[in-house]
Amino acid sequence: MKVGDVCVKLAGRDAGKKCVIVSIEKDGFVMIDGATRRRKCNPRHLEPLNIAVKLKANASHDEVVGVLVAEGVEVVTKKTINTKEKKEKSAKIQKKRTKK
Amino acid sequence: MPAPKDRTRTKRNVFVKAPGGRVSVHRKRFRPNKPQCAECGAELKGVIRGTPCQVAKTSKTQRRPERPYGGVLCSRCTRKKILESVRK
Repeated sequence: MKVGDVCVKLAGRDAGKKCVIVSIEKDGFVMIDGATRRRKCNPRHLEPLNIAVKLKANASHDEVVGVLVAEGVEVVTKKTINTKEKKEKSAKIQKKRTKK
Repeated sequence: MPAPKDRTRTKRNVFVKAPGGRVSVHRKRFRPNKPQCAECGAELKGVIRGTPCQVAKTSKTQRRPERPYGGVLCSRCTRKKILESVRK
């Protein structure tokens, strides 16, 4: 396993979702990101696909998503669902409340 | 004579000791069978086992594991299914 390998998560809430290895920790775990949440993960819970992607170590979430989408992997996370629009909406609602 | 609602074989006797030392009999519904994996029949962990009323009172996240096929397949069978689909 190395940085840039595309894997499928086998266990837990993100099982069946695709991810990339972002960095390798000293304690035998790996840091993953992509369609899954960005988090530490046991390599036993990953199944590597035969795809490797060019990535710097500790790449940001946006970089990872960009690379994965270019590779043809669908990435739908809460972060990709217009966080800006959500923030604007919540700000509007709060303004209304404060006016009252 | 038990109340008409309790004259049924779908209820069990529960002996409750009252503070005064008297033992009274409460009639309660049987719990349903243990939830099983649809694939291998193993007992499912983390799935609530209670009467429909008790189940409805708990939150959805407490009823089953938060994983694909959670509450239907065991973790082993889920892993197998994902591996099969990936290796095709």
